[in-house]
Amino acid sequence: MVENTDLRKVLRGYSNKWVALSADSRKVVGVANTPKKAIKQAHINKEISPILTRVPKNPTAFIL
Amino acid sequence: MIVTLKYAYRKFDATPSGAFPRRHSVSRPVIPIQLINGENKVGHLALIDSGADFCVFHGSLGEAIGLVVESGKPENFSGVSGKGRPLVAYFHSIRIEVGGHIFDCWAGFSKEIEGLPYGLLGQLGFFNLFDVHLDYNKRRIELKIKDKT
Repeated sequence: MVENTDLRKVLRGYSNKWVALSADSRKVVGVANTPKKAIKQAHINKEISPILTRVPKNPTAFIL
Repeated sequence: MIVTLKYAYRKFDATPSGAFPRRHSVSRPVIPIQLINGENKVGHLALIDSGADFCVFHGSLGEAIGLVVESGKPENFSGVSGKGRPLVAYFHSIRIEVGGHIFDCWAGFSKEIEGLPYGLLGQLGFFNLFDVHLDYNKRRIELKIKDKT
């Protein structure tokens, strides 16, 4: 499995949401306001190993 | 035998600014991990953050693996902004899976970082497990599992 590491296009349009990505990060399999709901959608879409990430409200720089 | 896990930096959207007028993307050392609590597990893209004293994840991710977040041991922490009151994370014994390898992890969960895009893989709970090499120019990440002896 070759993972997609350029997440710009795949995450575009999901500002301020939890996004469940397919195991190879190539497609969105769930979108919700909480991880639980995003996982539920992923499972409905038959993705057994989704990867969750949260898309920030604004794509600013981070110094954590 | 030394086990080395290799990853690429991941690229995300970024807006141009006065300081970086031609910037439209940023590359970050973000890797896929699994957070595990008993039979519950969830995949997450987490940021390797050498500046974090410990690992801390979103409270909502803790709930997704069945934790009652506030039942953990509390720890106050601050970010680089230094503004306002300290945030609080509640620590739990979980396991993390990295590259198919599973480790025990004393990790914090905080409902006060819900606005951040990533959980943080910090010194305690991650850097104590791996020799971490980040090569920004090549956008490569190498993690060597430390010998436990």
